[in-house]
Amino acid sequence: MRSVLVLSALILAGFALSFAVSEYTLRLLNMAVIAAVAVIGLNFAFGYAGLISLGHSAFVGLGAYGLAILTTKADWSPWLAAIPAVAGTGLAAAALGYPLLRLKGHYLALATLGLNVSFSIVASNWIELTGGTNGIAQIPGLTLAGYKLDGEQTFLWFGLAVLALLGLAALAIHASRLGRAMMAVRDDETAAAMTGIDVTGVSVTAFVLSAIYAAIAGCLFAAHVHFVSPDDFNYAHSITFLSMLIVGGEGSVAGAIVGAALLTFLPEWLRVLGEGYLAFFGLMMLAILVFLPTGIAGLLRRWRRPALPPQDTAAGLDGAVSR
Amino acid sequence: MIAATQNALSATGITKRFGGLVALADVDLTVGNGEFVALIGPNGAGKSTLLNVLTGLSAPTAGRIALDGRDVTRLPTHRRIRAGLGRTFQHGRLFPRLSVVENIMTGAANRAGRGEAGLRAHALAQLRRMGLERLADQPISALSYGNRRMVELTRVLACEPRVLLLDEPAAGLNLGEVEDLMARLRAIRAEDRIAVVLIEHNMGMVMRLAERVVVLNFGRKIAEGTPAEVQADPAVLAAYLGEGAAHAGR
Ligand SMILES: Nc1ncnc2c1ncn2[C@@H]1O[C@H](COP(=O)(O)OP(=O)(O)OP(=O)(O)O)[C@@H](O)[C@H]1O
Ligand SMILES: [Mg+2]
Repeated sequence: MRSVLVLSALILAGFALSFAVSEYTLRLLNMAVIAAVAVIGLNFAFGYAGLISLGHSAFVGLGAYGLAILTTKADWSPWLAAIPAVAGTGLAAAALGYPLLRLKGHYLALATLGLNVSFSIVASNWIELTGGTNGIAQIPGLTLAGYKLDGEQTFLWFGLAVLALLGLAALAIHASRLGRAMMAVRDDETAAAMTGIDVTGVSVTAFVLSAIYAAIAGCLFAAHVHFVSPDDFNYAHSITFLSMLIVGGEGSVAGAIVGAALLTFLPEWLRVLGEGYLAFFGLMMLAILVFLPTGIAGLLRRWRRPALPPQDTAAGLDGAVSR
Repeated sequence: MIAATQNALSATGITKRFGGLVALADVDLTVGNGEFVALIGPNGAGKSTLLNVLTGLSAPTAGRIALDGRDVTRLPTHRRIRAGLGRTFQHGRLFPRLSVVENIMTGAANRAGRGEAGLRAHALAQLRRMGLERLADQPISALSYGNRRMVELTRVLACEPRVLLLDEPAAGLNLGEVEDLMARLRAIRAEDRIAVVLIEHNMGMVMRLAERVVVLNFGRKIAEGTPAEVQADPAVLAAYLGEGAAHAGR
């Protein structure tokens, strides 16, 4: 219930900002909303099920290219094209998930990174289909009830509505038996199996959900920017998505949104640093991982709820060690 | 093959090798419906390994396992749990990111056809039965060690197992908690007719609860019988006290 309120507050804040800021900031807000959709998706895989994916951007790209190809080569309406683009990406994630998710931790991170690199290579070289490094231009924008969603402001309203719906869906999953099963799998796979949870099935489901959200983000991107190229979906973006989730606070939908917004705007605010931004970014990530492992959302949670009585926790640990 | 009296659980010829180490050598274990069996043996005898094989966490080198007469040797763990097997761990394993009641709801979710409210009600009923309902909304980190173990037991009971495998449930509990655990186990058996396999070093508990005792030593079954029979068995004395003591006792 509280998380629904936080989500609504974030969406309303975005809506209010849409009347108050410059065209340039509106463009950044749109990018933040699209990234937020992708990061909420990544939260299923990483935040809930504990699957480290460095290939998330490839799924964003699959969705974006799916829409771009179907609209420009087959003249489909973008609304219609989004359906196979998203469903196809989900199917691809399921097909890849079964072999990939046998890997854990670092191996999974490396394999998904490889997946992202492969995606970039295919997108750059399958020229007839993808236009190679030139990409695909003139992707048609969205039209809703005869109204064109092509201005930054109108698109932001639409993007916020999509984000609100997908955020609510994510919160509903969080509170469902699937959400609990994903968190149980991350906490302790063996104990999860011992309560009857199908660990492989739940992991693949989390991976597919994350890919579906990524593909929706990709469709939004293609329909908004009207142009896609391999560089938009290289592995560096995957690392950015993961950073957004960690900064915002993995395991939290609101955290995913805040992290996406913050890391979209931060490079702009720190433009004065020039090349130095990367060094700053690296140090900031390090500091967050060390001092704030639960991200901004975790910090706010701690504020609200004072720490538990220490003696209870200590007794638990003692007992565990000196059985 | 039709058995005259079907066992709740039967494991035959279980062998488990870890490289050169033979952790289990041709072990048979049968548990009747509603029967209470204790599995004892010195440290490293292979007791936990046997539970790992029974629950599918590790594949046996040889042997077969049947649950209610149905071969489950090749089933993955979660399918065995859904088929009626339940297990707790020697060192207690809860999901720290879920609250107490949510931990138990993961167990309750096995049975299809329960909505979210039904799952919660079932989990709360299980907590109430174990006298733990006041802990329902606590995070795991706030629980004492003894309560963690009781919550883990509640979680497995919420899976409604027909055969419950308990790996040293009394380890680390104080005397009062051990008494409470024994009373709960008796009540659960009486109410649910669950068959229990109890691994326990606390002999007092074994003698008071078990109908039959199986003794493992170096991966072999060295004795089986009523608690009194096993207690008097020279091979068991030898295993626990060393060969010299056994000869002295003869
Ligand atoms: N995964 C493993 N790899 C290698 N050896 C193992 C493994 N698991 C258990 N063992 C070995 O198998 C033997 C039996 O171990 P097990 O844990 O089953 O003993 P136990 O009877 O449960 O003992 P305890 O009373 O101390 O819990 C031990 O020698 C142990 O070191
Ligand atoms: Mg053991």
